[in-house]
Amino acid sequence: MPEAPHTVKSYEEELKNLNANIIKMGSSCEEALGKAIQAITTRNSDFAEAVINDDEKIDKYETLIEQQVVNLIALRQPMAIDLRETVTALKMSSDLERIGDLAKNISKRTLLLNENLPKNLVDTLNRVSTSVQKQLKSTLDAYLERSAPMAVNVWEGDEQIDDLTNLCMQEVIKYLKENEKNLEDGTHLLFVTKNIERIGDHTTNVAEQIFYLVKGEYLEGDRPKGTVPIVTGEK
Amino acid sequence: MIKIKAKDVDVFYGKKQALFNISLDIEENQVTALIGPSGCGKSTFLRCLNRMNDVIDICSVKGEILINDFNINDKGCDVVRLREKIGMVFQKPNPFPKTLYENVSYGPTIHGIAQSKQEMDEIVETSLKKAALWEEVKDRLHEPGTGLSGGQQQRLCIARAISVRPEVILMDEPCSALDPIATAQIEELIDELKKEHTIIIVTHSMAQAARVSQNTGFFHLGQLIEHGSTDKIFKNPDNKKTQDYITGRFG
Amino acid sequence: MNKNKEQLLNKRYKAEQRFRLYGQSAIFMALLFLTIFIFKIFSTGYSAFQKTWLIVPVNFDAELMMLDENPTKQDIEDADYYEIALQSMWNLDPNANEDQQNQLKRMVSYFFEREIKQELLKDPNLLGKTKEVYLTASDDLDQVFKGNYPRDLPEDQRRVSDYQLKIFDQLVANGKVESKFNISFFTNADSREAELAGIASSFMGSIFSILVCLMIAFPVAVLAAIYLEEFAPKNRFTDFIEVNINNLAAVPSIVFGLLGLGVLLAIFQLPRSTPLVGGITLSLMTLPTIIIAARASLKAVPPSIREAALAMGASRMQTTMHHTVPLSMPGTLSGTIIGLAQALGETAPLILIGMVAFVNTIPGSPMDPAASLPVQIYIWAESAERGFVEKVSACIMVLLGFLIIMNLFAQIIRHKFEKKWS
Repeated sequence: MPEAPHTVKSYEEELKNLNANIIKMGSSCEEALGKAIQAITTRNSDFAEAVINDDEKIDKYETLIEQQVVNLIALRQPMAIDLRETVTALKMSSDLERIGDLAKNISKRTLLLNENLPKNLVDTLNRVSTSVQKQLKSTLDAYLERSAPMAVNVWEGDEQIDDLTNLCMQEVIKYLKENEKNLEDGTHLLFVTKNIERIGDHTTNVAEQIFYLVKGEYLEGDRPKGTVPIVTGEK
Repeated sequence: MIKIKAKDVDVFYGKKQALFNISLDIEENQVTALIGPSGCGKSTFLRCLNRMNDVIDICSVKGEILINDFNINDKGCDVVRLREKIGMVFQKPNPFPKTLYENVSYGPTIHGIAQSKQEMDEIVETSLKKAALWEEVKDRLHEPGTGLSGGQQQRLCIARAISVRPEVILMDEPCSALDPIATAQIEELIDELKKEHTIIIVTHSMAQAARVSQNTGFFHLGQLIEHGSTDKIFKNPDNKKTQDYITGRFG
Repeated sequence: MNKNKEQLLNKRYKAEQRFRLYGQSAIFMALLFLTIFIFKIFSTGYSAFQKTWLIVPVNFDAELMMLDENPTKQDIEDADYYEIALQSMWNLDPNANEDQQNQLKRMVSYFFEREIKQELLKDPNLLGKTKEVYLTASDDLDQVFKGNYPRDLPEDQRRVSDYQLKIFDQLVANGKVESKFNISFFTNADSREAELAGIASSFMGSIFSILVCLMIAFPVAVLAAIYLEEFAPKNRFTDFIEVNINNLAAVPSIVFGLLGLGVLLAIFQLPRSTPLVGGITLSLMTLPTIIIAARASLKAVPPSIREAALAMGASRMQTTMHHTVPLSMPGTLSGTIIGLAQALGETAPLILIGMVAFVNTIPGSPMDPAASLPVQIYIWAESAERGFVEKVSACIMVLLGFLIIMNLFAQIIRHKFEKKWS
């Protein structure tokens, strides 16, 4: 829902600018995640390097957004929708920054992995990563559209991610059990899986914030969880 | 608990209608802020509550305003006694050009509240103490009230208003002529006063409404657009107009 | 473009300078006229405050006065002084013929026997002795001594004869002529004789008129103003009243005089020529002035004070009496004083109600006939005697002094109270 412009034009500009930065930061994260996944599935170390290098850009976005938010609060005292925009931007930027960090971590581990991984393992990994990537994309779309239903969709989709992660974990554990030589790769893969799952969690966080941004209320109820939570060590 | 209940209040200035169908409940011992752009009728509504609109010849008020379940627009309502129960503080500090003591003792004198000089001294002292002015002026009670600073003058006006122990205090933009420190002092005072009085404050500063009030009503073009708890109004108002107004997107 | 701008700027500065110059010259003109006026009044009038006395030896001859050896006070009171007074004057020139003796007598005021009597009443022991007594010089000699009298006119065009001048010059040479402060100007009533005429009657007349005027106009005007400003509904009728009050203030004063003549004297049969009637007439004239001043100062009381009082639960009456009226008083009072000062200077209505009559007694109450200062000026200015010329100026000076004091008083009231409440 587009708002009428502010009476104070510079205020309007600042809010638009903040909004644009969030979108830019979001798409950077999306790109980083995509490259990280490609790097691990296609065993392309160039992509991995790119992700590691680009993380700095994402960190800078976070700092920039934080400054803008502090300025807005200090100088403009935003109210109602503007206040929610501002506060949401602050929280989103820290989640997005975490997503960037996790993608970087995945890429670092990718560089250390053996060239030959079992195909079914890569497939499973690919499946969960693609879902997470989709989730992130729809979250950013929800932000662009200021759409609460889209945010709710993402939020509900987290359950599937958890299930897929569990599956993937089981695959990795199986791989570990096969051979003692797989210990190093397996451990890295465990972390990679866990990181992907965490990216999913942060994405869900962002979706919750978008819901608050649009509706001014919190998403009620427990976050949907996967069916077999033992392996992830979470409730 | 509801202290004041306005039902379908219409106000006319001559043929021009200034307020349309205002229905508003005001909670006891809470601060209710009335906000809205200039000319929206919030001050007019405030002045309905102690019938200050009577002073204006062409102004007529319709509808019911129940205070303690008594309709103050009834013919049987005595304005002088009503105003004893409902004090008012104005936009510009307006102490009488008399001494501080005379300013505060004026209300008790005309309403015959104090029986003796000693009792009057006590009333003056407690009123000034409640208005957080006692410490600053106790040595110069017999100097003119107009010699105080703006913020002190406004606190003197508050002391004057509470000297007759009103149940309700109406404040019409009480801080608009004051600097931020004096404003903060008044706001702190409002917070204290709400323990014993019901307070209704008209303000142009939304930040102030947000700081001091528990309930907020938004007026626009003579209508009450939205009324609810202050945090709801300022975080997530239901009405688009309210949101546009408080975020500065108006007109 | 730029040059145009500069020219325009210069033009604007020059216009401003010219405007200042116009203003300054206007003020200069006003001050010049004022100075000329005051100089003229003072230069003619100051001498009226001096009076010329002839010092003449008087023999208090008991026989001539037909008194016993030991007269009682009553006897001294009733004695005949005319003979010894005449003798004293004749003694100035023992060789004078009858006509000259007559001229000698006219060198002092006709009042001279009473001055001699006063001397004896003061000290009864003088009986049978000779003492030099101060006698008021005639107005013409007074003028001669003050240098206002042209001596070089032919004798038949002067009121002072050559003989009188000769005797007078002798007296001057002997130091028997003295000039002293003229107390009688302030203590005497009007008189046909310029040397004896004073302003006491008209001064008291003015005071009584002003008091009557104040007592009637002030309460009526203030009540009217308070009602109109604070209580009356604002509608066409009150607008109409307001317009008419303003019109009333512009009515020429002589019309009020006619009103006083037609209503107060003809219908109510009030005594003519009295300060009572004068005061009532003046109060009609002052009423609109005070009403306008009082309303203006009531209007100037900030509405916030009224609101404050009303919101405290004061009734309208309490609000008005406790706050609005006291706050408006300085303005009302200074307006009143200025209105009274106007009334004080008014002549026309007083002439119409008969306060122009010749009154040689000092009024003791507003019911006694009296003149008033401006009317006194008018009466004296009409008189032919040279002695009255300086009296006119002196009377104007007294009136101006009176007005200045009143205006000063108005200023002081305004300043004192304004300072206190601002």
